[in-house]
Amino acid sequence: MSAANAKSVLTTPIFKNNPIALQILGICSALAVTTSMSVSLVMTLAVIFVTAFSNLFVSLIRHHIPSSIRIIVQMTIIASLVIVVDQILKAYAYEMSKQLSVFVGLIITNCIVMGRAEGFAMTNTPGMSFLDGVGNGLGYGFILMTVGFFRELLGAGSVFGFTVLQPVQDGGWYVPNGLLLLPPSAFFIIGLIIWVLRSVNPEQVEENEFQMKPNTQPKEAV
Amino acid sequence: MAIRQTLDNLEPHFHKGGKYEKFYPLYEAVDTIFYSPPDVAKTTAHVRDGVDLKRIMITVWACTFPAMFFGMWAAGWQANSAIAEGFSSMGTWREAIMMTLAGGHDPGSLWANFVLGATYFLPIYLVTFVVGGFWEVLFAIKRGHEVNEGFFVTSVLYALILPATIPLWQVALGITFGIVIGKEIFGGTGKNFLNPALTGRAFLYFAYPAQISGDAIWVAADGYTGATALSVAFSDGMAALTSQFSWWDAFLGFIPGSVGETSTLAILLGAVVLLWTKIASWRIVLGVFLGMVATSALFNLIGSDSNPMFAMPWYWHLVVGGFAFGMVFMATDPVSASMTNQGRLIFGALIGVMTVLIRVVNPAFPEGIMLAILFANLFAPLIDNFFVQANIKRRMQRTGVPAEETA
Amino acid sequence: MAQSNNSIKKILTVAFALCIVCSIIVSTAAVALRSKQEFNQELDRKTNILNVAQLYEPGMDVNETFESTITPRVVNLETGEYSEEHDPATYNAFEARRDPASGRTLSGEKDIAGLSRQELYSTVYLVGDPNDPEQIILPIRGQGLWGLMRGFLSVEGDGNTIVGITYYEHSETPGLGAEVNNPRWQAQWEGKEIYDEEGELQPAISLVKGGASGETEVDALSGATLTSKGVTNMLHFWLSPQGFGEYLARFREGTNANVAEGTDAELESEGA
Repeated sequence: MSAANAKSVLTTPIFKNNPIALQILGICSALAVTTSMSVSLVMTLAVIFVTAFSNLFVSLIRHHIPSSIRIIVQMTIIASLVIVVDQILKAYAYEMSKQLSVFVGLIITNCIVMGRAEGFAMTNTPGMSFLDGVGNGLGYGFILMTVGFFRELLGAGSVFGFTVLQPVQDGGWYVPNGLLLLPPSAFFIIGLIIWVLRSVNPEQVEENEFQMKPNTQPKEAV
Repeated sequence: MAIRQTLDNLEPHFHKGGKYEKFYPLYEAVDTIFYSPPDVAKTTAHVRDGVDLKRIMITVWACTFPAMFFGMWAAGWQANSAIAEGFSSMGTWREAIMMTLAGGHDPGSLWANFVLGATYFLPIYLVTFVVGGFWEVLFAIKRGHEVNEGFFVTSVLYALILPATIPLWQVALGITFGIVIGKEIFGGTGKNFLNPALTGRAFLYFAYPAQISGDAIWVAADGYTGATALSVAFSDGMAALTSQFSWWDAFLGFIPGSVGETSTLAILLGAVVLLWTKIASWRIVLGVFLGMVATSALFNLIGSDSNPMFAMPWYWHLVVGGFAFGMVFMATDPVSASMTNQGRLIFGALIGVMTVLIRVVNPAFPEGIMLAILFANLFAPLIDNFFVQANIKRRMQRTGVPAEETA
Repeated sequence: MAQSNNSIKKILTVAFALCIVCSIIVSTAAVALRSKQEFNQELDRKTNILNVAQLYEPGMDVNETFESTITPRVVNLETGEYSEEHDPATYNAFEARRDPASGRTLSGEKDIAGLSRQELYSTVYLVGDPNDPEQIILPIRGQGLWGLMRGFLSVEGDGNTIVGITYYEHSETPGLGAEVNNPRWQAQWEGKEIYDEEGELQPAISLVKGGASGETEVDALSGATLTSKGVTNMLHFWLSPQGFGEYLARFREGTNANVAEGTDAELESEGA
C-alpha cells in the first residue's frame, strides 16, 4: 500500500473508489449543501482542507499515537481543523457560512474524514496521506459539484448563480423543477451517478448476497 | 385464425439470428395480447391459473372505464359551465376540434361536454402511453425480457389521477420518472416496491406544484378558479363545503378534481368487478376504509377550534379528493401491496390512517392518499415479514422441526 | 515500540500534548477572528435594513451609509412613543420578550402571527432626519408555513405608504413560499398602502389570490397559500395597535415631530 504511487493515490478516489458513490459515506451533507454550485464548491474546499490536513497530522504523529486512544486522538485533530475552517468561513465568507450553517460543523461527523485518517494515514507516510486526503476530498467534491450542477440548473435555472434558463417567475420560459430544490432529490441524482459509474466500471458492482435456488421440477405425488 | 397465422409467419424474424432479433419483446407483447403465451409455469412453486397476468391487467384496465368516461364528461361539463358563465376557453386546437364535432360550448349537451373532456384527457393518456411505453420497451430490449403488461394499468391509472389542464411535457416527465425510477431500476414489473403511477404523480406534485395543486388548474377555462372540495374544506371549513357542494354532488362526481377521481360512484362500479373477480384484495379495500373511518371518527371526537378539517366526517372523506380511486385502484396494486392476508388488512389500515392524518393535520398538503399509499408501500415488505415469521414460529411449535426447503 | 506507546505515561503525555496544541490553535483562531465575525454579522443586519429601504447598492460602503442615513430608535409599542430608557444600540428585543417584565404572552385570537411571546418595546430604524423621517423601517416576524419568518417592512414618512418588504430568515418551501425573496414579487409592494382610511387603526393591507387590485392589495405567492396567509397575518399583527399601530398613527396624524420631544419631557418627569 505504501508503495502506491502518488498519482494513483490522488486519482483513484475520484472515479474508481469514490467515497460517496462506492463507499456510500458522507451522504448526509451531500443532500444538504447541494442546492447551488457555489455552496457546493465552498463545502468541497472545506472538506478537502480538512481531510488533507487531518491525514497529514495524523500521519505525522502516527508512531506516537497509543492504539488505545487513537480514535479520540484522530477526532480531536479533525474537530480542531473543522472549527478553524468554520471560524475562517464566518470571518471571510459570511454569506457562504450562513448558507452552509451547521454543515461545516458537521464535517466532523463526515465518515470520509475519519475513515481516511484511520484507514490510510495511520499506516502511510505524511506526504502520501496528504495526497490521499486531497484525493478523497476531490472524490467527494466531484459528486457534490455534479449533484449541485443538476440541482441548481434544473431547480433554479442557473449555474453558479448565473441564469442559464430564464425561469418563468422572472419572466422567462423555463419552469423550474421544485423537487430538485428539496434535499431528497440529491438521493435520486446520487443514485443515478452510481448507476452510471457502475455501468462504466462493472467491477464496482457488489456480488449477490444470496442466489435463488432454481425451481424444482414437478415430481410424482409423494 | 388469421391473426395467429400472421403472427406465426412473422415470428422467425424475431428469434435469435432473425432480422429483428432485438425487437422480440415487442413481438411478444403483441402476440400475448391476442393469445395466452404457450409457455406456462411448469415448476412446483407456482399456482397455475387460466387467467394470466395480461388477462388480469386488461380486466383492471376495463374496470377504470366508468371512471374514465364519466371523468371526461365531467371535465368537459365543468369547463363548459365556466365558459357559459363568461370565461374564455383555453384551447387553440382543442377549440377547433370542439367546433367541428360539437359546434359550441353547451354545458347542457352530453356530447359537447364529452368531446371537450376528451380533448383534454386523450392527449394526456396518449402521451403517457407513448412515453411510458418507450421506456418500457427500451428496458425490455436492453435487458432481454418481455414487455410487462403492468404498464397498461400503470399508464391508465397515471393519466386518470392528473388534472385535465396539466401541460403535456409534465405528463411525459412524470411517467418517465414513475417508470424508470419507480419501477425499472428495481428490476421491472414484480420487483418494484412503489406504485409506479403514484411515484410519477408524486414527482410532479413536488416538482411542479403550481400545475397540479391549487385553485386555478382544475377547470379548463381561462382564469377560472375553482378549488377542489377538499381544499374548500381545508381552508374554509365544513360549512363552506356543504354550502358549495352537496354530498351527492361529491358522490356522483359533480365537483372539480383530477379526471378519474371525481365520481365515487363510477369508481365503485369498477371496484365491484375487481372484487368479484378477486383481482383486488377485499382485505386491502376493507383495511383502507376502516382505517379512514376510525381515524376521522377520532378527529371528530377530539375537535379543534383552529383546524376545520377535524370536523370532516368519514362519509365526506370517502367522496372528496382521490380517496375512493386510491383505495380501489392504487392500494390494491398486487406488486407493491402486502402479500399475506393478515398483512393486507394492516397495510390497508395504515393507508386509511395516514390519509386522514395527512389531510387533517399536515398544513401543506390538502390531499393525503397519494403520499399515504407510497408510505404504506415502503412498509409492505416489513408487514409481510412479521406475518411470515409468526407463521414459521407457529409451525415450529406445532411440528418441532423447521419446514424443509424441498418441494 | 508498541509497548511503550501503550504505557500509561505515554498515553497521558500524548493526550495532554494534543489537547494543549489543539486548544491553542482553536482558541487562537476564535479570538483572532471574532471581531471580524461580529463585524460581518453587524454588516449583514445593516445590509438587510438598507435593502428594505431600497438604499442598498452592491459595492457600497454599508457601514458609512448606515451611520449617515439611519437612526435606530426604541419604541414603546403600547403608547407609540419613543422610549429613552432603552438604548437602541444595546436594546435586545429577544432578551426583552423572554423577561416577564418587558414582554407579554400572546394566545388565541390575539396571536394571529403565531409568536406566543412579544416584547413591549421594539427597535425601529429611521431613514433621514429622525424627527421627520423619510422612511420608517419596522422589524416584523411571524409564522409562515414551516417556521418563523423574520424580516423588515419599510414605510414612508406618512406612516401609510409601503416602500418595501424583505425577509432575512425563513424556512419556506424553495420555489413556492421562498419566493417571498423574489425581487419581482417584492417590487409590487412599493407604493401600496397599509390602512384603508384616515384614523383607522386596523391595517387593511393583504395578500390576495389572482389579481390584486386597489391600494391595499398585493398578489399572493402563487402555489403558496399558507405562506401568503402567514405574511398577511404578521402584517396585520405588527401594523395593528398590538404592534406598531399606535406608533404609525402618530405619523399619519402628522404629530410625529413632537413625539420625540414629548418623550424627553415625560422621561424627565418620570425620572423625578
